[in-house]
Amino acid sequence: MVDVGSLALVIGLVLALYAVGMSLAGAYWRKRDFIASAEHAALAVWGLVTIAVAALMHALVTHDFSLEYVAHYTSSTLPLQYVIAALWGGQAGSLLFWLFILTSMTAVVLLQNRERNRELMPYVTAVLMIVAIFFLAMLNFITPPFQRLAFTPAEGQDLNPLLQNYWMTIHPPSLYIGYVGCAIPFAFAMGALVTGKLGDQWIRTTRRWTLLAWFFLSMGNLFGAQWAYLVLGWGGYWAWDPVENAAFLPWLTCTAFLHSVMIQEKKNMLKVWNMVLVILTFALTIFGTFLTRSGVISSVHSFTQSGLGPFFIGFLGATLVVSIGLLIWRLPQLKSENELDSVLSRESTFLLNNLILVGIAFAVFWGTVFPVISEAVRGIKITVGPPFFNKVNAPLGLVLLFLTGVGPVIAWRRASARNLQKNFLMPVSLGLLVGIILFASGVRHYYAIISFCLCAFVLTTIVMEFHRGIRARQAMVGENSLTALLHLIGKNRRRYGGYIIHLGVVMIFLAITGTSAFKVEKQITVKPGDTFPMGRYTLRYDGVKSHETPHIAYLTADVAILDHGRQIDTLRPEKRFYKKPQQPTTEVAIRSTVGADLYLVLGSYDEASKMATIQAYINPLVGWMWWGGVVLALGTLVTIVPSRAPARAPAYAPSRGPQAVATE
Amino acid sequence: MGRHLPRRLGLAVVLCAVALLAGAFVPRVRSVLGAAPASFQDIEESLTCQCGCGLTVHACNHLQCGSAIPLRQEIRAQMDLGKGREEILAYFKSKYGEKILSSPTTSGFNILAWVTPFFMLAIGGLLVGLTILRWSARSHPAAPTGEAPEIPAPSPYDKILEKELKDFGE
Repeated sequence: MVDVGSLALVIGLVLALYAVGMSLAGAYWRKRDFIASAEHAALAVWGLVTIAVAALMHALVTHDFSLEYVAHYTSSTLPLQYVIAALWGGQAGSLLFWLFILTSMTAVVLLQNRERNRELMPYVTAVLMIVAIFFLAMLNFITPPFQRLAFTPAEGQDLNPLLQNYWMTIHPPSLYIGYVGCAIPFAFAMGALVTGKLGDQWIRTTRRWTLLAWFFLSMGNLFGAQWAYLVLGWGGYWAWDPVENAAFLPWLTCTAFLHSVMIQEKKNMLKVWNMVLVILTFALTIFGTFLTRSGVISSVHSFTQSGLGPFFIGFLGATLVVSIGLLIWRLPQLKSENELDSVLSRESTFLLNNLILVGIAFAVFWGTVFPVISEAVRGIKITVGPPFFNKVNAPLGLVLLFLTGVGPVIAWRRASARNLQKNFLMPVSLGLLVGIILFASGVRHYYAIISFCLCAFVLTTIVMEFHRGIRARQAMVGENSLTALLHLIGKNRRRYGGYIIHLGVVMIFLAITGTSAFKVEKQITVKPGDTFPMGRYTLRYDGVKSHETPHIAYLTADVAILDHGRQIDTLRPEKRFYKKPQQPTTEVAIRSTVGADLYLVLGSYDEASKMATIQAYINPLVGWMWWGGVVLALGTLVTIVPSRAPARAPAYAPSRGPQAVATE
Repeated sequence: MGRHLPRRLGLAVVLCAVALLAGAFVPRVRSVLGAAPASFQDIEESLTCQCGCGLTVHACNHLQCGSAIPLRQEIRAQMDLGKGREEILAYFKSKYGEKILSSPTTSGFNILAWVTPFFMLAIGGLLVGLTILRWSARSHPAAPTGEAPEIPAPSPYDKILEKELKDFGE
């Protein structure tokens, strides 16, 4: 099986090279059979990569420790779900998994477009196969997953204990699907640039792919935050670590693209800008993989590091040079008669939204790479940590939140005084009211007050939009509120799905504000029977129990939670001692309510005195982040599922040119 | 558009300068404001744990951490000497090097870390602002007073009503 996998990667590389050559030759000489042959080769690459993945998975599951990868990342006592997760737990496996997702998506794109986008497809195939060639070359020559050891050890070294968590079984795949998904709009954009089919055809074709990529990037980031919250045990979920930043960057530019693309669809504007965003997003996905895999910037999340950096930088540089070169070449054709009826319009708001999103992306990128720049220029190592990112991004985030409320309800073309009054009087009033109430209640954290005001403002705009729509339906067809709501969403999925996504974003902002401004923490050393206050609760430490399995030794503290003298719960924070490799980890215990999480960590334990150090945190509103993620996922689902009603052209959409019509 | 361009450019340059200055001075003002009280947690959060966890000294919760625990003791010792926040941070910087600080200083080369994002944002804002003005001028060039006649925008309610009427008709 191992040799089959290894051979599959070699043949895959050859076939990917063939697919690129035949695609480009077929497009140049207009040979359909060449193009068909290239597409078949690309499908075969997917088959071969699947075989390679199956071979590595087989080696993992059967504990074939003769393979370096299996011996390094698993052991015979590792639970099956983490044996499977070890596929993306190490360097070579994660690159193979990346490649598997890429070739799978390529196969779907090829099958989807057998009868469509025929002029673009040779270039789409070529671009996707070039990306595949890069990863296949890495896997064949730099970091082969099927490398055999000189001798077969009796036992493996095991997976890093920090990765032995259920969120790690879904966080990396989500992120990889998000990363790789960004390659699809990039490939179509490149196809559009080469062929000169620069209308919105490539955008309409890839809209769902972009949404899918954005969705998985969003989920990947949230799953990662959940993992950090549960596993790292420091009471937080986001530390502006370079690898976290690397996953956040493409999300920001992809979000900007999803907004600006609406203007191109509505008004045939911003063609150049949209190309820039697509290129930037794809480049940032490669940059993210580079940061995670190269070790050029130290990170708590870089579980594997190697000398892959120069190759990734080379590939990234080549990608940027070629794509920006194509963009400059096509600039004359991309120029459009851009017009805005008014400065006060949704178009302007979207432009500002793009400015802020790209501004945040730049600030995060700059902070992430500044230590490297500082070392190169001054020869001095510095740290750019959470205080920098919080100070720079907090005001920008609040502006973005404000625009989240303004964008969807301000009129297209021109906002009249009546429109502004009708749409914003109530939200602004409620936002201010929230601020006054908070101030009167003694809150003096001004960022938090502004954030809560803006959350109320955005929430009101969303509620008003739904209310108007429901009232309209009730007036028209006499439906009850629930039916009207469901039909309203069902008949205009994109619009109302967007509102639901914004609702999720508001919930996430609430959580960020609550945990940033009002977190309470305490570290206390106690003996059995001792009690101590924590927020509205009293906590009683009842002692520590221990037990072990062949894989892990557990030390579990019993902490009773008392509310007004009555025991309402028992939390059991743990210390785990993994036997292979010998490493302790923290397993937090959490009591979640709508208002806050009570989060307990067993810091240390002294067997002789029976004293334990407990770290206790009250994290206000943190649960809203995870539920916000669920709402965001629901909104994306609503947006992504095709509507049964036929799409109508916007009332004032410019007439499409003959070329655009011909390609539809 | 042509007649107004110099004035708009001037305005844009002023806005850009204000944003730049704000970007440059906000961290400085904040650090001055923050110099008064030396809270233990604030200093913990201003220092990076050197154990490799990548977290601040405050956030690091490693068992028997060889870095965070001695650093916390050192912070307490410095606070007991009656030093202010900036003095304590200067002490740690001189002892361990700049990498101990959890964010770049606001002087010398490091000022670039703070200023550049705001500078780029100001440049971007300038470009977006000019673009919006240019595009909006393009849509009503003939208006002699520079103000186009107002087009009443359809309200979302009207649009929904219109859509429902259509759907109902089908």
